[in-house]
Amino acid sequence: MSKDVLVVKDLNMHYETLSGDVSAVKNVSFTVKEGESFGLVGESGCGKTSVAMSLLQLQADNAKISSGSIKLDGLEMVGMSESELREVRWDGISIVFQGAMNAWNPVIKVGEQIREAIREHYPDNTKVENTEKIASLFKMVGLDSSIMDRFPHELSGGMKQRAVIALALSCDPKLVIADEPTTALDVVIQDQILKEIKKVQELLGLSLIYISHDIAVIAEMTDKMAVMYAGSIVEKGPTSEIFANPQHSYTQSLLASTPSVVGDKVKLNSLEGEPPSLINQIDGCSFAPRCPNRTTTCHPELDMELVEVGPEHFVDICSANRN
Amino acid sequence: MLEYIIRRTFQMTIVFFLFLIFSYLLFNAIPGNAFSSLLLNPNLPPDAYQRVLEIYGLDKPLFERTQMYIVNFFKGDFGYSYKYFPKTPIELIAERLPRTLMLFSIVNIVAFYTGFFIGKVLAWRRGSKAETWITVTSVFSYTVFYPWFALMMLWVFGYKLGWLPIGKFLFPEKWYDAPFDSDVVFTSMIKFTVVVSVIQFIAYLVTRGIESLSLRRNLRFGSLLAIFIGSYFYWNNGEALIQKPYASDIAYHMILPVMVVTVVAFAGTALLTRTTMMEVLKEDYILTARAKGISQKRIRDRHAARTALLPVVTSFIFTIVTIIDGSVLTEQIFSWPGMGQLLLQSVLEEDIPVAMATFSFVGVFALIAHLLADVSYSYLDPRIRIKSQG
Repeated sequence: MSKDVLVVKDLNMHYETLSGDVSAVKNVSFTVKEGESFGLVGESGCGKTSVAMSLLQLQADNAKISSGSIKLDGLEMVGMSESELREVRWDGISIVFQGAMNAWNPVIKVGEQIREAIREHYPDNTKVENTEKIASLFKMVGLDSSIMDRFPHELSGGMKQRAVIALALSCDPKLVIADEPTTALDVVIQDQILKEIKKVQELLGLSLIYISHDIAVIAEMTDKMAVMYAGSIVEKGPTSEIFANPQHSYTQSLLASTPSVVGDKVKLNSLEGEPPSLINQIDGCSFAPRCPNRTTTCHPELDMELVEVGPEHFVDICSANRN
Repeated sequence: MLEYIIRRTFQMTIVFFLFLIFSYLLFNAIPGNAFSSLLLNPNLPPDAYQRVLEIYGLDKPLFERTQMYIVNFFKGDFGYSYKYFPKTPIELIAERLPRTLMLFSIVNIVAFYTGFFIGKVLAWRRGSKAETWITVTSVFSYTVFYPWFALMMLWVFGYKLGWLPIGKFLFPEKWYDAPFDSDVVFTSMIKFTVVVSVIQFIAYLVTRGIESLSLRRNLRFGSLLAIFIGSYFYWNNGEALIQKPYASDIAYHMILPVMVVTVVAFAGTALLTRTTMMEVLKEDYILTARAKGISQKRIRDRHAARTALLPVVTSFIFTIVTIIDGSVLTEQIFSWPGMGQLLLQSVLEEDIPVAMATFSFVGVFALIAHLLADVSYSYLDPRIRIKSQG
């Protein structure tokens, strides 16, 4: 049994806004083991990126982690000082951001931007060592080492995204967060990048958190997954188990809204309505107003709580009771 | 790039040619001429005025004069000053230029750096109390009526407190038995400043390639220390030792104008830097830089301020011409006899050769400054490519 790299327990994060607190992350708990890839899936605005930002504590100034714990290799990260956090960032947890197009500073050469990160965490490295390191990273993600001396605007979107992956790996992090890394790319490049990430992850034995709204990508990429809705995890477990046997109504709706390539043409099921505004305190099941499977035996008034329904397969109490 | 510079130089020559013709015609459009006052002198014979005009060629038609002036200009002959006859405009400029150059290069550098530094700190500390107050102060000094402000400062520091001299660039009584002209001192002060900046710049370039940040910082600090020690020895040995009391006299007179112009001029740069940098701070690459664990100061300076530099430099280029023409207002208020005063006097006295020479000098400098600005853009923002066409 490999050890736990990241343990998140009862994480709560809210944004302080003029019209009240917005709870973006509610009682989120999950564990990522060494070499494992973990998927977070959900609609836009359900708190996936907020979770990612909380892990690195890069959230906006008005965001506050109110309670919970984030342990990286047993090291508690909530409540760390800025200088301690700086050491964990990139060296412990690195991140591939949503828009790779804008992740590069336009006026600094790509190689220099990677070098900068290595320099920060390995100050004793020589210039030659760093150059070799970057060249080997570039080779790993399928880029020519001459790209080091290019400016970001001279690269294509796919090249930039590959370089971002090289950047994320530059300090040998324990955990890489990929926050919708392929959203801005076309399908062909998307597929290449996904393969690249998977290859690198297997090669280096990385722990990976993959965040996406695309449940098909999650299926391809991850060993375990969690489905988020309105800031909470509503179902989590091994990816294969969840796909074979989705328990929560929201997971079922997500799966039903994905077209299948094989078989007859069927009308896709889409879900009515929008996720609830998180500014109001939601009691009980947050999915109840949109739930297509609501029956009289449902207990939407029960507070959200994950219960085990299978081996390592947890689901929200509301759906668990019904099935 | 080279082709671009050559093409621009060619364009600039045409612009300069037009500039010469139009300024010459404009100066001649001023009613009367430099010798009109001779007509009023009852002791002169009646044909004296006419003879003087003939000597200076002012009796010829305007078209012929313009043609002659332009031809002579490109031969390097700028004529003689009407008012200080045996002196040529070049001699007058050579006397005035070092004074202006010294004062206004310091003013520009100080104002730009203060403005840029304050601007980036303001953007970084967005929303704090200090930010609000400094922004309000900057807006005040940006909009204040400059001559009034300068006079108030003169009144406070020169008259009420008596700390600083009220005008001029030296105390004449100190210079009675000076073994040299003030220009000599000015020139050696300028040389000193240039050498120091070049050393500092070279030190920056050399240390840029060093991988270890702490070593880089220490070396830069060391170079600064070396410059301080070096300047101490320079000013206490040989010729510089004799010049030292005079140089410090001039430096003492520079304090108030530098301070006043900085207070007025920094605000524009600061507010512009603040605005552009706030835009940059929203960019994703700032978040990436933070995620990389880079220090706040480095993100501020290296990622945010560096990217926000372009519009700031553009606005700076427009003020840089004051290094040469020395802002007529400032020189007038602080009675600093530099290029600005020469410009004003020669125009008022219709000393056309001097006015033309001074104006062309400023014009050439402005054109070159703009060319340098355009070339520097491609360094400041690599996305800007200088194309041979277009």
